Amino acid sequence: MSTESATPLLELVGIRAGYGTIDVLHGVDLRVMPGQVYALLGPNGAGKTTTLGVASGQIHPHAGSVLLDGHEVNGVSPDRLARAGVCLIPEGRGIFPNLSVAENLRMSTYAGVSYKQVQERAFAQFPRLQERRNQMAGTLSGGEQQMLAMSRALSTDPAILMLDELSMGLAPIIVEELYEQVASLAEAGLSILIVEQFAQAVLGVANEAAIMLHGRIQRTGPPAEIAEELTAAYLGMS
Amino acid sequence: MIFGVRHSVAVATALGTLAAVIIAVFTWKGAQVTSETFLVTTYIGLFLGALWAMYATGLVVVYTTTGVFNFAQGAIGVFAAFFYWELHVNRGWHSILALFVVVGLFAPALGVVLDIVIMRRLRTASLVVQLMVTVAIMVLLLSVVGDIWEADTARRVPYLFGINNGIDLGPSQLPWHRLIVFVVAIAIAVAMRYLLRRTRIGTAMRAVVDNRELAALNGARPNVVSSTSWALGSMLGALGGILIAPELGLDPATLNNVVIIAFAAAAFGALKNLPMAVIGAMLIGLLRAHTVAWLDFGSDFRFAHLSIAPLLLLFVVIALPQARLEVGRLVHHLRRHERFTKWWEGLIGCGVIILLAVAFSGGWLDFGIWDPGAWGSRELNSANEAMALALIGLSLVPLIGWAGQINFAPLAFAGFGAFVYLKVIGGGWVTFLGLDRLGLDPQDIRDIDNGYWILLVGLLCAPLGALVALPAARLRGLYLALMTMAFAQAMSLIFFPNPWVMPIIGTGRQFPHIELFGVTFNDRRGFFLLLMCVFAVVVYALVMLRRSRYGRRWMAINDSQAAAATLGVPVVWTKVVVYALSAVIAGIAGVFWATVSGNVDSVQGFDLLIGFNIVLLVAAAGVSIPVAGIFLIFIPLFTGLGHRLEDSGNVDFLVTLLDIMTTYGPGMLVLGMVFNPRGAIFEMGRGFSPILPWRSDARAEIAAENAQKREPEIGELGIERPFTPEEVIAIDRRLGILDEVVPKEGYGAARS
Repeated sequence: MSTESATPLLELVGIRAGYGTIDVLHGVDLRVMPGQVYALLGPNGAGKTTTLGVASGQIHPHAGSVLLDGHEVNGVSPDRLARAGVCLIPEGRGIFPNLSVAENLRMSTYAGVSYKQVQERAFAQFPRLQERRNQMAGTLSGGEQQMLAMSRALSTDPAILMLDELSMGLAPIIVEELYEQVASLAEAGLSILIVEQFAQAVLGVANEAAIMLHGRIQRTGPPAEIAEELTAAYLGMS
Repeated sequence: MIFGVRHSVAVATALGTLAAVIIAVFTWKGAQVTSETFLVTTYIGLFLGALWAMYATGLVVVYTTTGVFNFAQGAIGVFAAFFYWELHVNRGWHSILALFVVVGLFAPALGVVLDIVIMRRLRTASLVVQLMVTVAIMVLLLSVVGDIWEADTARRVPYLFGINNGIDLGPSQLPWHRLIVFVVAIAIAVAMRYLLRRTRIGTAMRAVVDNRELAALNGARPNVVSSTSWALGSMLGALGGILIAPELGLDPATLNNVVIIAFAAAAFGALKNLPMAVIGAMLIGLLRAHTVAWLDFGSDFRFAHLSIAPLLLLFVVIALPQARLEVGRLVHHLRRHERFTKWWEGLIGCGVIILLAVAFSGGWLDFGIWDPGAWGSRELNSANEAMALALIGLSLVPLIGWAGQINFAPLAFAGFGAFVYLKVIGGGWVTFLGLDRLGLDPQDIRDIDNGYWILLVGLLCAPLGALVALPAARLRGLYLALMTMAFAQAMSLIFFPNPWVMPIIGTGRQFPHIELFGVTFNDRRGFFLLLMCVFAVVVYALVMLRRSRYGRRWMAINDSQAAAATLGVPVVWTKVVVYALSAVIAGIAGVFWATVSGNVDSVQGFDLLIGFNIVLLVAAAGVSIPVAGIFLIFIPLFTGLGHRLEDSGNVDFLVTLLDIMTTYGPGMLVLGMVFNPRGAIFEMGRGFSPILPWRSDARAEIAAENAQKREPEIGELGIERPFTPEEVIAIDRRLGILDEVVPKEGYGAARS
């Protein structure tokens, strides 16, 4: 892919950020080019989720800048970024448990797609959700909940999609099904930033990968190469 | 399951209905029921139901869209009704204009201000703090109303379009106002249901309660959404208050108590289901109207018809399944810096309290204008009342402060204690039990030292506490608060006004002066001393209990019932014990409380607001610290100072300031809990304890905190380069390895 000359869709430059007085990210640089699927890998506590928090506006960095399509968006609230097309599916079932499936879908309409369209697209992708449209989302199975969370990505035409630990706590067969959806989104040209702890599923989809350790990106490269180094990185041999 | 209803609920409903039928048979007036009177009664019931449905709708909307159960919902209505009166009646504005200004402008503004200033910060607070803060808002709003619109003038809010215009229904007339209320109530309920279920903003309102961050990730503006929710809830409360005021009259307490009926109605819908809440309100309205029409409870139970709502609330809360009450809300747990008080520390502390009381009441300490030695009977009386309330407040320390069991009924327990005491020293039981045949004379009872009887009262109150604990054992948080509130309200309407319970005597004292160790405490100064001593003893007992196995168990079930149970803590038994203990303390306190004035106002004296105030004051001072209650003494102290300044023709503004402090102080203090959930005394204690010579631990903690402010940034955690000695110390400190708090040589020299 020759995206070197284009403006990166998402760019983090020298990001330092954390919670309270404790810094988690110590200078993160990361670029997601248009149409790229970028896999951010790393062990527990490396700062992957914090990176997504910064990119989606939930966490304001102490230093560095966040650029969306070349515009600096430091300090812009997460809801404004969401309406502008940044779609983050957070870790661990990004759903409203006390709202019905249909109401959860209604919450996806802030990004500008009509309720009718959101429903049509979501139900076309995941027919199981249609069967359960009036059920409280909290009573769905784990896989169904993740489908519901994913349906926001599928139905709202985001500019960039960020997925945080999509596979966490799910049966392998469901993970496979979800990643098929991710792959088709990627084929359609959507830029995606995926965070995963266990890399196997992602590496099939991604065309760029990075290892994150101790709050900084240690290495970036083609997924195949990164996969080889991953074990060493996890064991602290990098 | 019977028709999809749980077995236990069906049985409870059947038993409740049976009890209602039996009561109805025994209290039947004997009036003839014609279809005409029946219809008119039904129409009155439906109208009452509509009024309450409006309040209940407001409650349910606020609860589903903010996650906060707003005890101040009724008080917002009270304020709005008075404001409407001011504009419409006092200033002569047109009713539509006044209605628009109050409901359309003022109410939403109030809601938004409440959200921005207070509610936003309550999101991660514990339920106790949340409840206390909304109760504080209620009390504050009511005191503002009392201050602006003093009770000395009679006020009436007129009916819209007058009471005499309306539709002719044959036997009676349906005024436009009532028709409007009925239509508006139903329309609002339907509109709210539509808003919450079928629109995006309504969905977002509920979504924000579920998961605020996710709502923002979806693109909703969480702050705007919750401000809208509060504005809407406040508008509903205001409209309800204005429409109900013509029926009930403009009395803050009466208007505010409507909210209990709304609680009962809302509980029918598990606090979240609007249609069920409206049905509940209608049901209560019908029950009330038909009860008044056909039943006569006699003068002994003259308020019984008012107790339908609290009894139903009690019943619903106990009988209904508790599904999905806990919203997925993250409670911010406090880091505990708690340290057990040593037995001798407690002893010294309580000794100091008693010594100060002796010095104060004896007049040996001279503070100039503050000199309590010069206290008149007025000040001493309010000091005694304050200390009696502080004693009742102590009963809440183990219950709320340690075991986390919310209780709004401390006054009911105290009143029960007073009642038992009255019966015990009355001596009637001697003849009743046939003990007089064994040579015991009822007259002798009065000669026995009162101390024994007071202890006996405590023991006799324990079963009541245990009784309340049994339903409470399966309730948690909000439902527990509602249950105890309903219990208190039912007691104050059915039990205490009964002349057998609290006989009304013309003059003189219903409760004789207390006699202990041969001394009769018949002057106010002596009684003040006695109260202080009892307070100190109870505080000491509590401090020791906190160190015991039970103290640990209470803290454990407060933190996590499930975890405590898996450790082998008998949860139900632990709760029974703490409730019984609380009832014992409250019962004994009740004896002293009743003896302060010698008489108990059996009708007004047990008003729910007084109970709320006790809970509030204790919470503001610090509900987990026994000695905190002593700060109630500041109320009479300030009042006394105000009186004295006034008497000596002193500066006006100081008097006003003190007046404001005593009226609004407690409420403001509770609002302070938003920022400091552990109450005022906790911070004071932290400031004070390092002064004590043996508290090197407190000094070390302060030193560590100060050092942390100065310490170097740990930064890269030693990945890039080795740690410097300063960083090693800083890490040790953060990990709590505090062998050397501040090295003598300063940073850098140590540990190189």
